[in-house]
Amino acid sequence: MAAFDYAPAIALLPFASFVIALFAGRFLPKRGALAGILATAGSLVLSIWMALSVAAGNTYNEALYTFVTAQGINLHLGVLIDPLAALMLIIVSLVALLVHVFSLGYMNDEGEPGLPRYYAGLGLFSASMLGFVIADNLFMAFMFFEMVGLCSWLLIGHWYRDDAPPSAAKKAFLVTRFGDYFFLVGVVAVLATFGSATFAGEESFPGLAETALGEGGADAVSTFGFAPETWFAIVGLLILGGVIGKSAQFPLHTWLPDAMEGPTPVSALIHAATMVAAGVYLVARMYGFYALLPTVLAIIAFVGGFTALFAATMGVVKREIKQVLAYSTISQYGYMMLALGAGGYVAAPFHLMTHAFFKALLFLGAGAVIIAMHHNENMWDMGGLKDRMPVTYWTFLAGSLALAGIFPFAGFWSKDEVLYEALIHGLGSSPLLLGAYAMGLLAVPITAFYTFRMVLLTFHGEPRTDTAENPHGVGWSVKTPLVVLGVLAVTAGFINMLPVQKLLGIEGIDFLHEWLDHGFEGVTAHHYGDLTGYASGYIGGESVTVLLGVVVSLGLALAGAGLAYALYSGSDPDAHTDRLGDAKTVLMNNYYQDEYQVWLADATARVARAADTFDQGIIDGPVNGVSSVSLVSGSRIKRVQTGIVTNYAALLSLGLVALLVVLGLLGGWF
Amino acid sequence: MVPAQYYLLLSAAMFCIGLFGILTRKNALLFLMSVELMLTAGNINFVAFSFQYGNLTGQVFSLFTIALAAAEVAVGIGIILVLYRNFRGVDVTQATTMRW
Repeated sequence: MAAFDYAPAIALLPFASFVIALFAGRFLPKRGALAGILATAGSLVLSIWMALSVAAGNTYNEALYTFVTAQGINLHLGVLIDPLAALMLIIVSLVALLVHVFSLGYMNDEGEPGLPRYYAGLGLFSASMLGFVIADNLFMAFMFFEMVGLCSWLLIGHWYRDDAPPSAAKKAFLVTRFGDYFFLVGVVAVLATFGSATFAGEESFPGLAETALGEGGADAVSTFGFAPETWFAIVGLLILGGVIGKSAQFPLHTWLPDAMEGPTPVSALIHAATMVAAGVYLVARMYGFYALLPTVLAIIAFVGGFTALFAATMGVVKREIKQVLAYSTISQYGYMMLALGAGGYVAAPFHLMTHAFFKALLFLGAGAVIIAMHHNENMWDMGGLKDRMPVTYWTFLAGSLALAGIFPFAGFWSKDEVLYEALIHGLGSSPLLLGAYAMGLLAVPITAFYTFRMVLLTFHGEPRTDTAENPHGVGWSVKTPLVVLGVLAVTAGFINMLPVQKLLGIEGIDFLHEWLDHGFEGVTAHHYGDLTGYASGYIGGESVTVLLGVVVSLGLALAGAGLAYALYSGSDPDAHTDRLGDAKTVLMNNYYQDEYQVWLADATARVARAADTFDQGIIDGPVNGVSSVSLVSGSRIKRVQTGIVTNYAALLSLGLVALLVVLGLLGGWF
Repeated sequence: MVPAQYYLLLSAAMFCIGLFGILTRKNALLFLMSVELMLTAGNINFVAFSFQYGNLTGQVFSLFTIALAAAEVAVGIGIILVLYRNFRGVDVTQATTMRW
């Protein structure tokens, strides 16, 4: 199939733009932006071509370059294109393209320094994420996962001359790296257990795990003395460590709010399509493995539900527009994890997609506001921007309605499906899922509240500062991405109108379900549904449950939005969150999670120092000792070489005499 | 006919004189002469044993050694010239810049 031969180019095009921007960026008219725009546009076109080929019923799974084949273990780079990958490719390349375009307005027009470095970073970031998406095995996925982490470090720390960005970049790198450490151990464990780390095909590790858990299949894999269920759960949790770090789930979410120190288009890219999405995508990619492990699924669901609620509460009190969005990202990724844990293999990519569109929109809208406000991010200094920047206002409003989950915007459909999956499977099989569902549901009004608090403070009321009175205008390069994403934020939900199908009985409008239900055998939504073993329970029939879920979540969202409107819609609103008292202090300080982690780091520093001493003394000691013996004896013995010929002659003669004496003694001459 | 051991004594004496010269002198030209002495001591041995056993191989060999010694002197003089150019003298103890 011709289309798939071009699949590696999807990742290689942005990589080429990285090279061009890095080496030739400073000679180019827009400092490398045009190369990036062309490359990501090319990726988008190729991704759409892939999707069309997939829609025609084709799939692709090829190993392209093999590093090592030894003892049954195969480490290679390969490409896997199936419906899930094709969907994700379009999301990533579209958002990357729009972020490149937006950067023209946000970085070039504002005269920021270091533009070639910036565009090189964006190119490499897009390339790594696209490479991660097309990865056909866990080893390759891990390589690109790490590259994504590296690029986030480069881009968050773009303004490295200030104090905060480098430290935020280091924090993002180290915290996600902590999770990736477990992921690395997990990759090794998968290779050691199955001898294969491919996601799909004959020897795929989810398939092998499924066989191993079946009748008499346990002999095919080595589980190191554990029962297969236990060992697989351990491996699943290890890989989940990387997911929790990258997707900013509790307790490794602390890096994400700090990452706001990076340029705003980078935040949009990180939150919508690349870094944070990688974790959720990884779980979806190897869902055949996780679906076998009910314990791990329950943990994923519970962590997700808890994170959704936990992060949403912190978003309520923040003063900076980007901070609110950061906490909403953590919260929304919590929903995706909840969906995955609850067996919603379609719901999670669906929410990932709609979230990518509306969150990219919100971040780029916030970027437009920040340009207008001369880089002041405090919402209390804004107000009244509605009439002064209408394009930004209306698109931002569309994104906010989607984020809050108001009918019929994109976020409504996906969030509703997430909660629906959690509800029916919770009712049917696991009360724990009901707990996660309750937390997810409780986060709905809070989300709506902080979203509309943000909108009202930013755009409504009277301008509270002179800057807000006369905002800086924004150009076409800012408005175009906003409009594109605004349209998507309104319409993207229509590809999967499950409630409408269930209630009105119109068949065939759950396009995403059908999309994710073809492809490789064993990598389909239907197959995963069989694997999870979740039973569905209903309150008084399926239609009633659907209707109840929709009404409750929509009602709660409207209540949250209404409360925000009641409190903040005046011309000069008060800081109503002050009424929370001490609770506000706790929320402002992010539940002291940062302090707690610093305390934890300090407490373990002693262990680290002991390990360092052990490493330097016991491990390095003998090695250094041997080398220093050679060094010292060498420096002494080399003094023999005086450079005076007479001395050499004397040594030669003495040596000859000594040799003669020895030979004489041995030969019995004397 | 002179017995072979006298030739050997002469040869050993010449060799020791040459060795003594190398160990004690500083002048490179004297070095060259001492080396020639030692080579000649070797030649005397060749000739003496060749005469002793009535075998001409040793004498032929000593002819080769003399030719070799001539070549060696040419090389040696060349080295001494370079030594003189670089160190303003032919004192071998001065030329120590190539050591550690």
